[in-house]
Order: sequence, then C-alpha cells, then structure tokens
Amino acid sequence: MVRTFKEFPGVEWVEGTGDFIKINEEKCIGCMNCVNVCLASCFEIVEQKARVKSLEKCMECASCWYVCHEDAIIFTWPLGGTGYKSEWG
Amino acid sequence: MDEEFDVIVVGAGFGGPVAARICAKAGLKTLMIERSENVGDKVISGLTIPFYGFLFGPEFIRDGNPPIERPSDGIINYIIKDIEKGDIEIDDSLRVPKPFSPIIAFGYNAYCKPFCEWEVRKAVDAGAILKKSTTAIDVIREDKYVKGIITDKGERIRSKIVIDAEGSKGLLAVKAGIREKYRPETISLADTYDYVMLKEYVDKIFGYSVKMCWGWDEQRIAPPLGYGNGLMVWPYRNSIHFMQDQCLRINESHIPNLNKLFKEYHSNITQKLPWWKNLVEPRAKLRARMWDGFEIYVGLNKELRNMPNHIDGMILIGDAAGLESTELCDGVPAAWFSAEIAANVAIDAIHTNNTSKLFLKKYDRKIKRHPIIQWSISGRNRFNLRTAQKEHDLKKLRKYIHNGWGLGSLTHFMTPFFKMLLSDVNKDPTIITKWIKMFFRYYQNWFYESYDYSSIRKFREATSKKLKKMEMKFTRYLRLIDSLLKSLKKRKKLLSAIVVPFSNSLNNLMKKTLPIFEPIYSFILKLLNPISNRLNIKILKFVEYANPSVFHT
Ligand SMILES: Cc1cc2nc3c(=O)[nH]c(=O)nc-3n(C[C@H](O)[C@H](O)[C@H](O)COP(=O)(O)OP(=O)(O)OC[C@H]3O[C@@H](n4cnc5c(N)ncnc54)[C@H](O)[C@@H]3O)c2cc1C
Repeated sequence: MVRTFKEFPGVEWVEGTGDFIKINEEKCIGCMNCVNVCLASCFEIVEQKARVKSLEKCMECASCWYVCHEDAIIFTWPLGGTGYKSEWG
Repeated sequence: MDEEFDVIVVGAGFGGPVAARICAKAGLKTLMIERSENVGDKVISGLTIPFYGFLFGPEFIRDGNPPIERPSDGIINYIIKDIEKGDIEIDDSLRVPKPFSPIIAFGYNAYCKPFCEWEVRKAVDAGAILKKSTTAIDVIREDKYVKGIITDKGERIRSKIVIDAEGSKGLLAVKAGIREKYRPETISLADTYDYVMLKEYVDKIFGYSVKMCWGWDEQRIAPPLGYGNGLMVWPYRNSIHFMQDQCLRINESHIPNLNKLFKEYHSNITQKLPWWKNLVEPRAKLRARMWDGFEIYVGLNKELRNMPNHIDGMILIGDAAGLESTELCDGVPAAWFSAEIAANVAIDAIHTNNTSKLFLKKYDRKIKRHPIIQWSISGRNRFNLRTAQKEHDLKKLRKYIHNGWGLGSLTHFMTPFFKMLLSDVNKDPTIITKWIKMFFRYYQNWFYESYDYSSIRKFREATSKKLKKMEMKFTRYLRLIDSLLKSLKKRKKLLSAIVVPFSNSLNNLMKKTLPIFEPIYSFILKLLNPISNRLNIKILKFVEYANPSVFHT
C-alpha cells in the first residue's frame, strides 16, 4: 500500500516501515528541538516530553536525531523497500 | 544469502555503484545493498554535478552517456538588497563565456534517480549483484575485523571488505564505531521544490545558468541559519528545481520553527522576487516537494576532517565519509573520486589478503592527498558569507559571493585543478581529447533529448559536404593533440620540474593578478561578443549535425 498527501506532491510513502523513530522518555527533556525542526510534523509534546505523533509523512532526513542533544531520539531506517520515495529528487 | 562475497558495497546512490563496478570489473565477487525499493527512490539532491567530477572522475562516466537534464554554464548571483523595492545586484562572472558555452560546461544538471539507475546498470553489467529493499543494519565483527553485514531481515552476508556508501546519515558507520552522530552545526537541511515548465520557457528564463539569490536576513529570502544563500534554482530539461537550505544550528542552541519559516520564505520569494513572480510563477507548476539533510560543513572542522575513514575490513566513501563540499555544496565528485580510490585499495587488499586497518590506511592517505577533495571540504567561504550577512556589510558580501560563486573562485581553485589535470595527463596523455569529446558528446545527448543518442539516432548520412570536411578536420586536430601530448609525456620529468612548482603557486598568482585581469577579461569578452556569437552558432551547428561517432573515444 502506498500513501500520498496533497501538501507533499510528487512523494509516495510505502507502508510497513515499522516504528523507525523512537523516543527514550527518560532522556527527553521536552526541549522542542525535534518538534521545531520537523517539516513533516511528526512530533508533539505531551506532559513536557516529546512523543512521536505519526511517521506517515516522514522523509527520513534525520534532522530530529541531529538536533537532539540529549540523545533521546533513537533513529533507524524503515524496513527495506518501505518509507518515502520520489522520482524527482 | 549463504554466499560469501569479496566486497559488499552498502548504498546504490552516486558513489556506491562506481566502487561496485570497479571491483566487479577486477573480477571480485561484488554485492550492492540498497535500502530502497528502486534505485534512487530516496536520493534527493540539487543537482549540478560540476565539470571536474566528470573530467577527473570514473572513466565509464566520462566516456559514457549518463542521463543529464541540461548542461550548466555557470551561476548568476543575485544580491537582494531590498526585495520590496526590487533593489537587486547581479554577479554573473562565473559563467563559461561564448563561444564555448554551453558545450564546455561548468557542470551538468541531473535528476538523481535516472543517474543512479544508470550507474547501477553499469555496475551490474560489470558483474556486480544488486540487492534492493534491503537495509544494512549492522556489521558482522570477528576479532575486530568487519566481515560482512547484517540486514534488516536478519540475514548475515559475509564479505572480505565492506565499502560503506550509505550517504550522509552514516547510521552503519555509527554502528560500526567509525563515526559518531555529527553535530547539528555540520548539517544543512534543504527544502526542495520541483516545478514542471515548458522547455521553451526554461530556455528563455534560465538558459544554461543556475540562479542563486543572496540577501540580508530581514529580506526573508535566506533562512535565518543559512550560511549565506537564499535559494538556488537549477534549470532542467522541462522542469526547474528550487532549493533553500538552512543549517541546523550555528551558535544558538534554540532551533526555530523551521516548518513555519521555510513556508514563509518560500512564499516571500515566489511572491516578491521580480524574476520569479513575473517570469517563473505564471509558467511553472509544482510537481514535487521534498527535503533532506546534508552534511556540508563537516570539513570545516579540522578534527572532523581528519577522522579516519576506515577500520579493519571496512572503508567509508562519499557522504558517509563526510566528503561533502563546503565550497560549492557539491558532493557527487567527491563521492566518485573516493569510490574509485576505495575500490582500488580494496582490490589490492583482497589480492594481498590483507584487509587490516594498517593496510586500508592507504585509502585515507590518498584522500588526504587528493587536491580537489581537500579543496572542496575545507573552503570557508560560506562561513564568511554568513558573517557578511550578519554584519550587513555589502562590500564583504559582494567579495565573498565573487570569491565563492564568481570568478574569484579561481583564486583558490586553480592550484587543485591544475594538480589534478597534471596527474591525469601524466597517467594518460590522450585524456585531453577524451575530455573534448565528452563535452561534445554530452551536448549532443542533451540536444537530441536522448541519454544515448547512438541507440536512437541513425548516423546522419545526409550531413553536408562542408560538415563532413569539418568532421575530418576535427578528428585530425584531435589526433594531433593526442600525439603532441604523448610526445610530451616522454619529457614527463622536465614537465614535472617546471609545471608542478608553477601549479603550486597558481592560486597566489591568481590572487595577485585577478584584480587586473578581470576587467580586461570582461572588456575583451564584450569586444569579442559579435564574433563569439557567430563562432558559437558555428560550433553548435557542427556538434548538432556531426556524426556522433567522432565524439566517441
Ligand atoms: C538537497 C541536496 C542538494 C545537493 N546538491 C548537490 C549538487 O548540486 N551537486 C553535487 O555534486 N552534490 C549535491 N548534493 C550532494 C550529493 O547528493 C551527495 O554528495 C551524493 O549523493 C553522495 O553520494 P553517496 O554515494 O555518498 O550517497 P548517496 O548518493 O546519498 O547514496 C546513499 C545510498 O545508500 C542507501 N542507503 C543508506 N543507508 C543504507 C543502508 N543502511 N542499507 C542499504 N542502503 C542504504 C540510500 O538509500 C542511498 O541510495 C546535494 C545533496 C542534497 C541533499
């Protein structure tokens, strides 16, 4: 199954990625960096901790991982053959 | 997979297939692992691949017909002083002049996917095996040695050497302990828009030039943490590509809301920048929007620049090794150069049955001695631009734009360029004519809208007598150049004694002479304009109509 979104034309997301970005709640200090850096709005803050809201529009740029100075974000790749793809990169 | 391979190449982007092809051609059992479903699905770039990547890069690319979208003859820089009033200055000194443009190109614009697919086909033709939809999640370790990879399906695939071409995030390199996560200061996040546009409009509005805009922060065209540039626009065949990039952190620890800001900057540019608003906006249709992070500032930090790119049984190349250019934001040439070096070191290592880090150190030594890689990862111009922007110093901004993206780049590029040129000519004296043929062949491919004209276009029997004569002359001249250079090669020692010290001081020479040379150069260009234009038409006609076989090596 493939997902598309009107706001992101020309990009498709193949389902079955698995939870490839996770947050270690113990390490997270709720600094908002991941929320602010994410162009796909994947994160939200709940009770002063970041939480993955949805990875359905994630373009796997890893910016959230880079800006997390507490190393609370565990970033891996989605399962092979899944996740975002585009003809026009 | 129970088989054991000689080499596993992780990643089939720009660098991976080059390494895989060279290894496979040398008879090594080679496997390429790619995490996406189709090659190139996940590679996002600009993209202009600069000419030096093609000249000094892998032979099969130089002598082949890779899928390019449009030759690029240079950059037009717009300095936006006041976007509301349309107060804009232009520096377009970094352009190949007529009569040579667009045959002699500054670079070639391309989409990543067809390009990477083409490279992969060449690797597979040479005997490499491609395994797609497979992510390498870890390496197999035995007594400190990397002995293969572990996939996301739990397979353990063994090899004597792993060449890691996984691109900028380097997750496997982190797993293998060669790298740590890069600091956000080294990463730039690039927001990219792809627009469809009729070819005739792209021709008219852009021609063969990449457009770049620079300005003060409050003009809201340059993202607040960008190292200087507001945007770049690349013309393709029937489309254009728009990119804004923004560093993930400079000094401030606070990350602004980028989602909101990028949208704001994009609409500010498209609604206010005169050439975009009046010329592009009415004719362009948005086709795709995507983004990716790239680590173009790794090289600026000496400590990061000097990190080892190998351990026992494993070598990092391209973006995975942090070889992105700070100078021009290009990474493809360095990915190709490092892929070639890594493949050759891997072949030696396997033949001598020694994959220890002591042996693989050879790779790092070669990377450190590579004039263009070192030039491209250590340029500081984008930092300087940022300072000029912050200080609102127009004089400095002009100077740095000219230095980085105008003719001033000759003051730091001449020495590495000449050194590469010399070493390549020394290795193969016929290379110069191969380059000439390459430029002509690429132009012909672009002109006939085909990536490989020879398979589509029938040889033109009907070429006029005049053209036939020109073809013969052209071939004769090329032979003459070849024999001249071959005879020079015999005097290699003498050549090195004179030319090598000379090339070392070329940058300094350019620094001193450019202020005098540049006005003369522009004056002569203007003076010769009518003649150059006429000559340009002649050359283009020749290249367009000549039998393609004369442009083959
Ligand atoms: C927005 C942007 C603009 C750019 N503009 C330019 C430009 O104008 N000119 C220029 O020369 N360069 C440009 N670059 C840089 C250029 O794209 C890179 O330097 C180049 O792609 C690096 O090649 P590579 O082979 O090292 O990595 P990549 O081309 O990124 O290839 C890596 C491959 O590995 C795969 N992969 C990753 N991890 C795994 C894994 N664990 N297992 C299996 N497969 C994996 C990926 O799917 C990908 O196919 C730009 C980059 C970006 C992001």
